[in-house]
Amino acid sequence: MSTAASVAVLSRRSVIGTARQPATWMPGLFFPLLIAAVNSAALTRATGLPGFPDVQSFLQFLLPATLIQGVLFGGIVGGADTALDIQNGFFERLLASPVRRSAILVGRLAGAAALGGVQALVFVAIFVVFGATIEGGLAAVAVLVVVGMILAVAVGGVASAIGLRTGSQEAVQNSFPLIFVLLFVSSAFFPTELMSGWYQTAAQANPLSWLIDAARDLVVVGFTWNQALAAVGWSVVLAVVGIAVALLALRRRLRVAS
Amino acid sequence: MNEPILVEGLSRRFGDLEAVSGVDLTVADGEVFGFLGPNGAGKSTTVRMLTTLLRPTGGRAVVAGYDVVRQADAVRRSIGVALQDAAIDPLMTGHELLRLQATLHGIGRSEARRKGDELLARVGLSAAGDRRVGTYSGGMRRRLDLALSLVHEPAVLFLDEPTTGLDPMSRIALWEEVRRLNTERGTTVFLTTQYLEEADQLAGRIAIIDHGRIVRQGTPTVLKAEVGAPTLVLTVDAAHREQARALLCERFGAERPAARPDDLAIGLAGGAAEVTAVVRALDELGATLEHLELSQPTLDDVFAEATGRRLEGAEGGAADGSTTDDGAATDGADDRDELAGERG
Repeated sequence: MSTAASVAVLSRRSVIGTARQPATWMPGLFFPLLIAAVNSAALTRATGLPGFPDVQSFLQFLLPATLIQGVLFGGIVGGADTALDIQNGFFERLLASPVRRSAILVGRLAGAAALGGVQALVFVAIFVVFGATIEGGLAAVAVLVVVGMILAVAVGGVASAIGLRTGSQEAVQNSFPLIFVLLFVSSAFFPTELMSGWYQTAAQANPLSWLIDAARDLVVVGFTWNQALAAVGWSVVLAVVGIAVALLALRRRLRVAS
Repeated sequence: MNEPILVEGLSRRFGDLEAVSGVDLTVADGEVFGFLGPNGAGKSTTVRMLTTLLRPTGGRAVVAGYDVVRQADAVRRSIGVALQDAAIDPLMTGHELLRLQATLHGIGRSEARRKGDELLARVGLSAAGDRRVGTYSGGMRRRLDLALSLVHEPAVLFLDEPTTGLDPMSRIALWEEVRRLNTERGTTVFLTTQYLEEADQLAGRIAIIDHGRIVRQGTPTVLKAEVGAPTLVLTVDAAHREQARALLCERFGAERPAARPDDLAIGLAGGAAEVTAVVRALDELGATLEHLELSQPTLDDVFAEATGRRLEGAEGGAADGSTTDDGAATDGADDRDELAGERG
């Protein structure tokens, strides 16, 4: 029994499934771009504020945040598809086959990773077309793509866990607002140095801020191994949490059902 | 392997509800075994235990020579499963799903492709193989589901209500395919159904389950013979109905459940020769005979005698989507179809 082949074919299915439902991933592409467009139009002069990082443009400043926002949305789609499988019975078909139980989850997350990487490339390309420069060059782009892939696994894991626990696509989709809160209470759209009070405290304690700050340095300052490792490292930490939560949820579902 | 399916005292409890209680059955090699019962009787729960999807809370089951709990993985390698309401990803094509299923069973890429083509041809879906499953009709989905369950040439095939919700033509086509599988390849088939005709058509032996317990088990012929007397169904005018009922029960045989409330049904102990006597007796009573019908025992009579209810009558309720776990599952299938429509 080749588990690797099973994972490959399941992740392929995951990608095909997502690609064939544009309605589920289009918002994850356009919505972050819309926010970026509005923000960069309205807040361009904010880059002149004392304490604001030295950036080429607000658009450049927003690139990592927009990318990560898109990947977070994209990861939810994978979790919702896990729930859909449970709802329509396909999950049971998989369970009735001799495939390793964890391979079902790994296949789903590998599919999410592939989509995350593609999303990252698309966002970078669009921002570059609109005039954002990436000071870290191709090395920075490579890091952004890797971050996109790993982060997609993190969110895909959490979303799949919700899907496995609830068996409801709606429940997974309803976790969208949570991601919003996480993003807005972070350095995604504004530097934490310019925030104040509890908001600043919360944003500075948000792991997404650490990840975004490191990724942003690669874009607005230049490539350094330190920041590259920080960006990838924090993504990995989040992914480990996501995978762990998903595996626990899978185990629980199998135990309850069996 | 001796018996493909050997079940002893199998039980499953959900909280306070015992959905399946102490089921014993044996299915012989190369047999088509019909598992018959109304919605919510415990058919699906039993199948889910036999296919390793649900852990029993009591008893044991050995499928294809392996214990369903301790050797679940070996069971999964040996069985083909087509679960109720064809759980098929509507976004994938028939070809893609067959290749996926083959890979999950450890079949290599080129073999999977060949196998997929062969099975699609077998179930008459070659032309639709590259279309998304969301565009398939109900009958096509069931046929694809059957093909999917066969990729690894299983020794034992589980079909859970394979024709529920299908039109008569599609139903007969599926029956043909199951028969062919059984005669050509000798595949043992465990088939659950709520249709008596389906069990009668396909199954060499049947078990009837009601409220989680097996109430009858045997070949359809023997079971029908056990019921014995033919059933006389008659309709008399309402004014004389109770008198007629008392008279018939006293002189001609035991009352049986009737399909319609206005009918009287009795097992005619003396056989067809008694019909004239019945008519004469009713005439003496002054009753108007509106309808009369004599039928040899059917599986429905077997079911009625075993449970005190008619199965065919219960189907109307099931079609409305009312009651029980099976009913809920059917509702789920409807939701999915709508969803597939939106996305497709």
